[in-house]
Amino acid sequence: MTAQDITKLIVRTSMGDRGAFDLLYRQTSAKLFGVCLRILGDRAEAEEALQEVFVKIWTKADRFAVSDLSPISWLAAIARNHAIDRIRARRRPTVDIDAALDIADPTPGPEAAAVASGESERIHVCLDELDKDRAAAVRGAYLKGESYAELAERHGVPLNTMRTWLRRSLMKLRECLER
Amino acid sequence: MSPADENSPDTGGDDILAAEYVVGVLPAEERREVAARIERDQAFARLVDRWEVHLSPMAAAYPEIAVPPAVKAAIDRRLFAKAAPTPARASLWSSLAFWRGLAAAAAVLAVAITVAYFVAPPSDQSPQRYVASLAPQQSDVHYFVVYDARTQDVGLSHVTGARPEGRDFELWVIEQGKEPVSLGVIPVGASVHLAVAQAIRDRIAAGAMFAISLEPPGGSPTGQPTGPVVASGDLHDV
Repeated sequence: MTAQDITKLIVRTSMGDRGAFDLLYRQTSAKLFGVCLRILGDRAEAEEALQEVFVKIWTKADRFAVSDLSPISWLAAIARNHAIDRIRARRRPTVDIDAALDIADPTPGPEAAAVASGESERIHVCLDELDKDRAAAVRGAYLKGESYAELAERHGVPLNTMRTWLRRSLMKLRECLER
Repeated sequence: MSPADENSPDTGGDDILAAEYVVGVLPAEERREVAARIERDQAFARLVDRWEVHLSPMAAAYPEIAVPPAVKAAIDRRLFAKAAPTPARASLWSSLAFWRGLAAAAAVLAVAITVAYFVAPPSDQSPQRYVASLAPQQSDVHYFVVYDARTQDVGLSHVTGARPEGRDFELWVIEQGKEPVSLGVIPVGASVHLAVAQAIRDRIAAGAMFAISLEPPGGSPTGQPTGPVVASGDLHDV
């Protein structure tokens, strides 16, 4: 399926076409489930989140027109944001996210996948300009939905330090992205 | 994190806040605040969308994982079961942060997306449809237009830009080298339609341009645009 095909499915979904919605689900649900599971680290919760994500897609598909995102990125962003909202609403992570994923995910890790995708996108080039551990923090936060609190704990620094650290990384990224 | 920290000059401002939201590191309360802001602040929503675009290639790292069939059945039950919606849906709608962001992020739109936005349903493929994104011309007025030649209907979706008090928006079609022809005053509303007169039908084709001018109430008194053009765009066939 090309991006154009997925765009058409989103558009038809916005018009209430259930056939298009079903096909969109078949084409994209595995990816969006991968997003939810990676962030939530729990199959049952990821399945619940995926349901909510597709309910949103059905209801709000017309909003796609006002984003600059590619169709699959737009769908992935919905799943990511929803899963992150869910995990933030939790008091504490219930399981070790990486451990859960090791069971569920036989595919290469984020770094390898980034390399496999050719590193052609600007963001990868720009992340490589950051110190290794800072780039890893940005990637980890993005992919796993880690909070400032979790990052601070893992890196053994105070929360405010972590925030300052990540903001500076984001400023550097912006400088590189817009160069 | 104290409020003082958040407001210190070292935070990088709105753009970095948008980036923090997209990366996903903010605590729940701040995420809610940012989500609410995305909804009411269009400029901020655009910053968020831009970061989403910048960072989205990282999502290539998410694996595809097969979903148990029961999930789709549950989605269909939620969406299409005849039963009244359960109260559980209310909590779902309360976390539509990202959707609201997109709703407000009515920025420039790729033509490819615009074109595809109005595609016909599968049973209805026809070359008789044209679309245009009427982008702001020294204004913030932005409309999407779809023209269906078979039904002679122009559909307009209002994206941004209020009409000034006591003025109307008038839609024009312009063929290269010819004078603009009015399609009428655009009714007020987010999604409106104009019927196209038979005589004008042939003028609307790929390569022609749609434009919106600002006119006195009821439209131009002269038959030609009298006010500034606030938005325009080329027609593409679908």
